[in-house]
Amino acid sequence: MSELTIPRGKHVGARVNRVEDPALLAGEAKFVCDLTLPRMLHAAFVRSPYAHARITSIDTSDALAMPGIEAVLTGSDITAYPLSDLVALEGLQKTPQPVVATDRVRFVGEAVAVVVARDPYVAEDAAARVEVDYEELPAMTSVEAAMGDDAPLLFDDLGSNVVFQTTRTFGDPDVAFASADRTYRRRMRGNRFVAAPMETRGVLADFERASGKLTVWSSNQMPDLLRVTLSAVLQFPAQKLRAVAPHVGGGFGQKMTTHPEEVVVAYLALQLGRPVRWIEDRRENLLAAAHAKEQVIELEAAVKDDGTILAFRSRCVGDAGGYSFNQASALIEPWYSATLMPGVYKVQNYEFEVLAVLTNKTPIGPYRGVGWTPGHTIREMLLDEIASDLGLDPAEFRQRNMVTAGEFPYKACVGQVYDSGSFIESVDKALEMIGYEEFRAEQESARARGCHLGIGISPYVEPTGFGSEAAQQQAEFPFPSHDNATVTVDPTGKVTVALSVTTQGQGHKTTFAQIAADTLGVELEDIAVVQGDTDTSPFGMGTYASRAAVIAGGSVALAAGEVRQKILDAAGVLLEIAADDLTIESSRVSVKGSPGRGMSLGDVAMAAYWAPTTRQEGKDPFLSATRFYDPKATYGNGCIVAVVEVDVETGHAQVKRLAVVEDCGTVLNPMIVEGQVRGAIAQGIGGALYESIVYSETGQPLTTTYLDYLLPTSTEVPSIEVGHLESPSPLTVGGIKGMGESGLIAAQGAVVSAVIDALDPFDPEIEELPLSPDRVLRSIGRISG
Amino acid sequence: MKPSPFEYSAPASLEEALEVLAEAGSGAKVLAGGQSLVPLMNLRLAAPEHLVDLNGVGSLSEIRADDGGLAIGAMARQSTLERSTLVEELVPALAHAASHIGHFQVRNRGTVGGSLAHADPTAELPMILLAAGGRVTVQSKARGARAVEANDLVRGYFTTAIEPDEILTEAWFPRLEGAAGWSFQEVARRHGDFALVAAATVVRLDGDTVADAVIALAGVADRPVRAAAAEELITGEAPSAALAEHAADAVRGELSPTGDVHASSEYRREVAGVLVGRALSEAAQRAQAGS
Ligand SMILES: Cc1cc2nc3c(=O)[nH]c(=O)nc-3n(C[C@H](O)[C@H](O)[C@H](O)COP(=O)(O)OP(=O)(O)OC[C@H]3O[C@@H](n4cnc5c(N)ncnc54)[C@H](O)[C@@H]3O)c2cc1C
Repeated sequence: MSELTIPRGKHVGARVNRVEDPALLAGEAKFVCDLTLPRMLHAAFVRSPYAHARITSIDTSDALAMPGIEAVLTGSDITAYPLSDLVALEGLQKTPQPVVATDRVRFVGEAVAVVVARDPYVAEDAAARVEVDYEELPAMTSVEAAMGDDAPLLFDDLGSNVVFQTTRTFGDPDVAFASADRTYRRRMRGNRFVAAPMETRGVLADFERASGKLTVWSSNQMPDLLRVTLSAVLQFPAQKLRAVAPHVGGGFGQKMTTHPEEVVVAYLALQLGRPVRWIEDRRENLLAAAHAKEQVIELEAAVKDDGTILAFRSRCVGDAGGYSFNQASALIEPWYSATLMPGVYKVQNYEFEVLAVLTNKTPIGPYRGVGWTPGHTIREMLLDEIASDLGLDPAEFRQRNMVTAGEFPYKACVGQVYDSGSFIESVDKALEMIGYEEFRAEQESARARGCHLGIGISPYVEPTGFGSEAAQQQAEFPFPSHDNATVTVDPTGKVTVALSVTTQGQGHKTTFAQIAADTLGVELEDIAVVQGDTDTSPFGMGTYASRAAVIAGGSVALAAGEVRQKILDAAGVLLEIAADDLTIESSRVSVKGSPGRGMSLGDVAMAAYWAPTTRQEGKDPFLSATRFYDPKATYGNGCIVAVVEVDVETGHAQVKRLAVVEDCGTVLNPMIVEGQVRGAIAQGIGGALYESIVYSETGQPLTTTYLDYLLPTSTEVPSIEVGHLESPSPLTVGGIKGMGESGLIAAQGAVVSAVIDALDPFDPEIEELPLSPDRVLRSIGRISG
Repeated sequence: MKPSPFEYSAPASLEEALEVLAEAGSGAKVLAGGQSLVPLMNLRLAAPEHLVDLNGVGSLSEIRADDGGLAIGAMARQSTLERSTLVEELVPALAHAASHIGHFQVRNRGTVGGSLAHADPTAELPMILLAAGGRVTVQSKARGARAVEANDLVRGYFTTAIEPDEILTEAWFPRLEGAAGWSFQEVARRHGDFALVAAATVVRLDGDTVADAVIALAGVADRPVRAAAAEELITGEAPSAALAEHAADAVRGELSPTGDVHASSEYRREVAGVLVGRALSEAAQRAQAGS
């Protein structure tokens, strides 16, 4: 059997219930804020109320004098290297961020001091008593302001607020634009989102002086990277550092990067010799945890009268916030928008310009669908405009320009190689699910009654399974992205799967157990999946970018395959038969074709551990294997179709129906795929109609509670119909492509397109998102000013 | 998001509550459902020194028919308004409007008195009290009970005529009688959000024409307001779509709302007109159906 094939027994592909749910439903799952240690102290941060200022003095004496206060530290008290991004792209300027500001603050919410107290209430009382004097500097809250000729600089030594600017050309866009029958142009300011995980950030650190061991529990998606980063910035020996991500209540990318607070809390534990915990509150999460997605994008298309798209030209300007945020950098948004702009469409002439610009707002970090969301949205808006101008049906126009089934593998102009897919088929299927023809008839009759319905079609291709090759294809540098898994069968025949990817609710303990179960021929309940602890898991990158199913799935399959062989080898000796003639099913090793002749897996394992006679020359008998996997690049695809109703007098839009077709290659567990799809689509609906971080002109954030930052709730999200297509990757283990982000990449576009379609009789002009009732009325000229 | 330190008392009777409140002085605040006060304290936007918890004062939760209207104890939960047949019968607009307050979890805790005393300019209940022409009873240890008319209750953003040593004990709504119809309209970003704009109307017919009309709005000023010019404009006229449109325009002319992150001033003015138009049409239809 090739290493690319995974055995499919009764588990892989089945709707297996999630093994993690009982603990979550019973409230027994332990998150960072459920962890307490004896003598534990509580940290609270003092944060800048100014968007841009020099710190002239800090007086901590009042705070320190309060009962119950153990320490108050400012930036200059903390010995830690600043955080910086890890992106090695030429021309990208570095903006080192001190973990607590020392002399300058660049966004409201930046930490300027930290208070440590016996309880979190006292800590907040004291934080309010730290006196900080600031000299206010002019704040820039838009990329346009920050790029102005006389714009004050966020980093004086950089000479500009633009930390990155480049152009790339593929094919011959100039010729294509010159020869086009028609050209179109659109500009959009994509909204600033926040990932808003249900569990806010949180860190607990404990330093044991005698052993010299520092343990950091953090609500983090990449504990190995956290460990390496902490070791580097604190100059602390990595072998004595343990990072643990316990139960994590959602991350969505926000918890990928090492945040300054994680460094500070670890530092405090080292200095004070007592455990220190910090639990972020919601206001802080909306204020100081990484924001996401804000970009100003311009997109042009060159089109023939017959509806062939000849070329695109884009300009993606990322609003980075106060720092090119550590690890991911300010490019996390504009670069990815630009590089995936052609998407599912066969456009080989393309030019893009990417800029990343510092502003006095919270730094931008990764969030589900990084970069792709706003780029995708503006492209789909532009395609609707073109279809309407050419008098073509928007679905048919799109399909005409898509990569067809016969054209895979298809190399996109920027360099992505789509190994397989169902671009056109997924649109057909989604339209069928929604009942496209019937909808158009209903739309017509509803309009006559003054009821405005609209439909939006949003096909996507998603880079999944980020390994080194995918990183090269997306990011132009081979960010070495890989993961590892260890599979061990113990002497009783039970299995432990140790993963380097971590889970924030995606159901890893189920899906990866499904793979191991089928490969080893055991039941799910025979398997324990451990992850999220650098002491017990192999090294790896962690969970992000829809990559876990491909990479962890692959490494588990490879490691389990190797252990299976070891079991068969030992059983072959015991049963005096060639290992190749044996199979394992339901934890029983038996002769193929004669199930009566065999023995239990437990007996084989027991013998493999304790009967030296089972050992064979040149073979490692330990029933354990660790496998590394750095998959080939692969891409999932699908299509979302949304139906909305808009009240054109109040501007209120509501999503009525939503159908999605997801093709993530081999489906490991349809129920989990559907859950991921639905969750991401809810976030996309948020981005289309509700979510937006808003700043005042002076850089004051105006959306610092859930009263003002509006997440979609169950009343805003209709039931979502999910259909599956399966185009397994020919390149990855098991044909797995992975998924997770697609809903948030494509749902915003689907819903926005649907609103525009509903407003079609009124010629809406839309340049900004989300489509609040106010913006809807403005777009059709019912209000102005 | 942790409150600053405060004293806490849980009196068992109104007398005791008034006593504690009088003693505690101006730094004290009454705690009702806590749905507004507790978040404000957690954000440290409010830092009362002393909380006087009314949740143990059972006598304040009664709902009863009284004096040709409906008397509702201050501690009656907002969710009871939705379920009470007495409310549905006597002041149907109140039952309907209550279902727009937050989510059911919020309404299960939030109280009628708390909403009226908190006086959020977009809140449903103060607007309904104004539209209905009701009043509240407030009481202090020093001065005893007094009545405050709806149009005198709210004095500005989150500001009322209630003195620091007073407790709002009861709200009273006159019964909707005769050939009268009501309507409640609201636009919010999401279901359960505070209104961007809300409107409540009462239309009383005399034969084919409007005998008198009340148009109340929330979300368009620092307090719930009545659109007097529009009310006057339709009085004596026969209800029609054109009349409703006309009134809507008059309402727009009367208002100069303040904008915020959710909706601009222009939006609120425009949509106030839209909602008033819809509310007048619906109220007139109800009045015709009921007469
Ligand atoms: C998610 C959410 C959504 C919401 N949506 C809405 C909405 O759409 N519409 C809306 O109107 N409200 C909304 N609210 C607020 C909610 O209705 C509150 O219940 C209400 O504003 C206050 O009532 P309470 O009983 O909770 O009062 P509390 O929060 O306990 O008190 C509020 C204020 O009133 C004072 N007070 C309370 N009772 C008395 C009394 N008897 N006498 C004197 N002073 C008193 C308190 O001292 C305090 O200053 C929402 C709240 C939440 C959390």
